[in-house]
Amino acid sequence: MATTTATITLASSDMMDSSLSISNTSTLYTAGTNTGITETTGLARKKFATASEFKLLDHGLAGSIMADITDDKSAKVYIKNLNDRGDGTKYVAVLINSIEIGRLYGGDWCFFPWKGGNDKDVDIDPSDATETTLEYTVFFE
Amino acid sequence: MATTTASITLSSSDLLTDNLSLSSTMNLYQNGTTATGLDECNYHRANIPTGTNFTLIQESAALNTSGANYVYIINKNTDVTDYVTISIRSEVIGHLYAGDWMFVPYSDATTATAGVDDPSGDDSDIELQAFTHECTIEYALFHVGETLLTASDS
Repeated sequence: MATTTATITLASSDMMDSSLSISNTSTLYTAGTNTGITETTGLARKKFATASEFKLLDHGLAGSIMADITDDKSAKVYIKNLNDRGDGTKYVAVLINSIEIGRLYGGDWCFFPWKGGNDKDVDIDPSDATETTLEYTVFFE
Repeated sequence: MATTTASITLSSSDLLTDNLSLSSTMNLYQNGTTATGLDECNYHRANIPTGTNFTLIQESAALNTSGANYVYIINKNTDVTDYVTISIRSEVIGHLYAGDWMFVPYSDATTATAGVDDPSGDDSDIELQAFTHECTIEYALFHVGETLLTASDS
């Protein structure tokens, strides 16, 4: 078993009267156990220049790594938009089964558990055809 | 304007042949700006009983208009069998087991038919259901503004 940790720190010294400082570390375990996750896609990088929605993580691709991720397992997804922020209007929307979760502007990242399963692909829908570079990885069992 | 940062570090010394060490830091900016920080935040702690799917973060016209909000959720339980499902518009994103956290952008962008409990017709609430045992959840919403509800006795 491997030990993989994910640490988040949220900090602000001026949003509120007192400083905001939230920090937590989780160990990535298989579902319902304290056995560490032992598989990953590794860090991947994807460039694209399209305004059309596309599948980043295709659960429906038979025999693929993503097809192994199902409801009864544990998986975590990390995605980062490596573009510059620019004027702050360009983004890539992250969707699961055509439901938009949110928008990653240049420099933004996200980290979330992924249920997987039929039609539960993780899709990317760019705001326009600006060339965009994403980095992403999946940890799974 | 405020300066708020979100940092992540993913690390492992034994998952791969070589060490895994990935770090990234982002600023929480408002939509359509080059460097204007979000300046509003809600931070909650709640005990979530099993058996019911609850609305954790209510959709809001103001959240929808912004399109640049960020949500942090952590399951503070310690029993590894305890988990919560996280959904947006009834679409389950995934399971947060004890100790797990997530951080995602939240655009509140999905439109739906208006209903009694959803007068705006934008049912993009973030929902949560606990399984196995009651789960203690902490969650934060960083946003540019929420639609405030008029007091019923005003």
